[in-house]
Amino acid sequence: MTANIRKVVQLLALGFFVVLFLLARYPYTERTEADIFLRFSPLIPLFDFIQHFRFSTLFWPALVILALTPFLGRFFCGWLCPLGTAIDAAGKVVKSPSNRFSGKWEKLRWLKFGILLGCILLALFSVNVWGYLDPLSIFNRALTVVFYPLGTLFVDQALLAAGRIPFLEDPAMFVYDTFKSLVMPETQAHHQGLLWIALFIGGILGLERLSRRFWCRNLCPAGAWLGFLSQFRMFERIVGEACPICNKCQTECKMDAIPGGDVKHTSKVECIDCFNCGKVCPPKVKAITYRWRWSPYHTPVDMTRRQVLQTSAGSLAALGLLQIGLPSKDSQTRQIRPPGALPEEQFADRCIRCLECVRICKSNGGCLQPDQIRSSLLELWLPVAAMREGYCEYNCNLCGIVCPTEAILPMTLQEKQHLPIGLAHFDKDLCIPFAQNSDCIVCEEHCPTPDKAIKFEIKEVLLPNGVKRKVKYPYVIRDLCIGCGICETKCPLPGQAGIFVTTENQKRAGATAPEPAANPYGG
Amino acid sequence: MNRRDFLATTGAGVLGASLLSPPWDRLLAQTQMPHAVWVENGEPAQLLAAALKEMGGISHFISRGDVVVVKPNMGWDRAPQYAANTNPELVAAVVTACLGAGAKTVKVFDRTCNNPLRCYTNSQIEEKAKIAGADVSQVRESRFVNKAINGELIKEWPIYKDYLEADKVINLPIAKHHSLSGVTLGMKNLMGVMGGNRGDIHNNFAQKLVDIDRTILPTLTIIDAYRILTANGPVGGNLAHVKQTRTLIMSPCLVTADYVALELFGLGADDAGFVGEAIKRGLNTYDVKKLNLRRVRLA
Repeated sequence: MTANIRKVVQLLALGFFVVLFLLARYPYTERTEADIFLRFSPLIPLFDFIQHFRFSTLFWPALVILALTPFLGRFFCGWLCPLGTAIDAAGKVVKSPSNRFSGKWEKLRWLKFGILLGCILLALFSVNVWGYLDPLSIFNRALTVVFYPLGTLFVDQALLAAGRIPFLEDPAMFVYDTFKSLVMPETQAHHQGLLWIALFIGGILGLERLSRRFWCRNLCPAGAWLGFLSQFRMFERIVGEACPICNKCQTECKMDAIPGGDVKHTSKVECIDCFNCGKVCPPKVKAITYRWRWSPYHTPVDMTRRQVLQTSAGSLAALGLLQIGLPSKDSQTRQIRPPGALPEEQFADRCIRCLECVRICKSNGGCLQPDQIRSSLLELWLPVAAMREGYCEYNCNLCGIVCPTEAILPMTLQEKQHLPIGLAHFDKDLCIPFAQNSDCIVCEEHCPTPDKAIKFEIKEVLLPNGVKRKVKYPYVIRDLCIGCGICETKCPLPGQAGIFVTTENQKRAGATAPEPAANPYGG
Repeated sequence: MNRRDFLATTGAGVLGASLLSPPWDRLLAQTQMPHAVWVENGEPAQLLAAALKEMGGISHFISRGDVVVVKPNMGWDRAPQYAANTNPELVAAVVTACLGAGAKTVKVFDRTCNNPLRCYTNSQIEEKAKIAGADVSQVRESRFVNKAINGELIKEWPIYKDYLEADKVINLPIAKHHSLSGVTLGMKNLMGVMGGNRGDIHNNFAQKLVDIDRTILPTLTIIDAYRILTANGPVGGNLAHVKQTRTLIMSPCLVTADYVALELFGLGADDAGFVGEAIKRGLNTYDVKKLNLRRVRLA
């Protein structure tokens, strides 16, 4: 019974997550708070505390979860986590083995505590690794880059194909229009870095081949953090005297939380309140009940001192490795962050790589993409503006509004329209007027600032064939350009654009631009 | 039949015919229909009504059962007062007029420059045209079909299927400044039904635009000059560049409409290269030197 309620709640939570995801698009009102489920992540307040020594009310949903966990245990994992639900579904598809076959992986359990400890140690040095592993962030990232685009591609194509069958045309087009208005008003999404994000989520779901909830048992740092808090949980599983020790609950436990030789006990650190044990207990026996106890027993966290030392040493090494890479000026110059992004180091520390901004940008100018590793590992999956493919819409400020951790600060439209995120430069070897002595100025046409940042001068040129022609030669006015990149997007050249945006002149939120270095030669 | 009978029958016939009220006014209007109408000093719907009256009524252009495409400029994510998109009240009035003339459906769409969802919403055209009864839909990439152009520079170009299949087309641009072509009017507004990389058209612009426009001429061109954008076009964004001219220009000839509208900006056909090119290549129905232009100033 309780297990069935749990399944319904799981599906509702997953549905809620997906609906919020779909709502994160233009048109958007701030009251929607599409990022609220992301702020349920139990890891966010922990790392926010490490970073700022505070408990921010911004993360109240997570604080509620954390407050309940010492009493209820890891109910978040079993009931609410959308990644957990997706993993359960994957387990059904790939036929996850029971604990009789997967018990051998029990030795990996400590690993999630190791990962959590490593994340904490790195966070002390302002290095954000935990965001990559946050379950809600992982799920949102997979939705944005993999599941949603894949789903829309199939549905779109299938409905259009059905619409071409004469007698199906009307119903198919009706469904198509509904789908286009409710689910996919924007055009088909395409994202860079798809391979790694697909492998990441595919790996997590595929691990179900080895054991049920493999990720949650052995790897998830949020699970470790919640497990750590539920060592003394008061809501306990009680096994009555009638128990014939059939071991059914032990083999069927999603988390392998019931020790092999001792079915009357439960690992409080591992149990996720799925209530499968009560469900599988034979009907004639029904020896399992759940009750509150005011003097709960304690389950220690699964980590030896040696493992703590190993993890610490490993984290230190990782920290060092992250420092000794060559920071390449060349790649940094194309790393244009969303308007309102904190200064780069703080930004990378605060961003959980959930890609909610990338998602909402798709229904606007569509410039944001998950970043690649260019010169540092930590650049991976930060939002980056790929302006040949999309631009920053002049009248849009939604990325900052949906950012769950305020790595991108919310700004008013007016503030955003005056904050440059970069600067456009002409590549005169490519740009049509310069390279071909022929009119174009599509960039100037699209430039959205009230006083155009791209202007042009008309000059007469003598062509090789002796003909004189007047041509409009565009140029950029540095003080007017906000780096929105529509010029680069719309440049009609087939490949590389004749105009491109760099981070030069960018101003980050909450920081004034650094003063230009003094000229040592006094000029 | 003797003479008396003949006279009596003819007399009765003429009397009967005049009692059945043949469309004298329409027949008359047809003979005297101006080449273009310039109406000023009114609200968008009033301007439209006055211009249509001069042209002999909307039913002169739209027949019962027609599928009509109304092609406004809604290319930019701007509110109406910035004069970057066609006036939404005017679009609604045109839709209402077409439906009133018995049009089966009136389709409104534009291939936008900014994000299409934002343009449709913030131009307020989607909302107002829908209320007026139009079928407003987003442009789908899959609905562009390659059309043979066989022009001087362009051999073929993708054109929107709904546009090609329509019985009648009303081209409904706004008059704006444009750096490349001087101004953007009716001829350039048709770029909104062109697919592919439209940036390519910008080089040898006049020649290429005339190449394509030649094959997709509209039934009627109505130029919205209620507000015009005088600088920083075609995007605008600065209210100081918007001039309220409260004018509307209408002509069944695309080139004539554009030619007449140049006056708004104090320009001649040579200042806007594409108008000059179109005239040079004979795209105009009427001789622009001998235009029958009707000017109406509303009270």
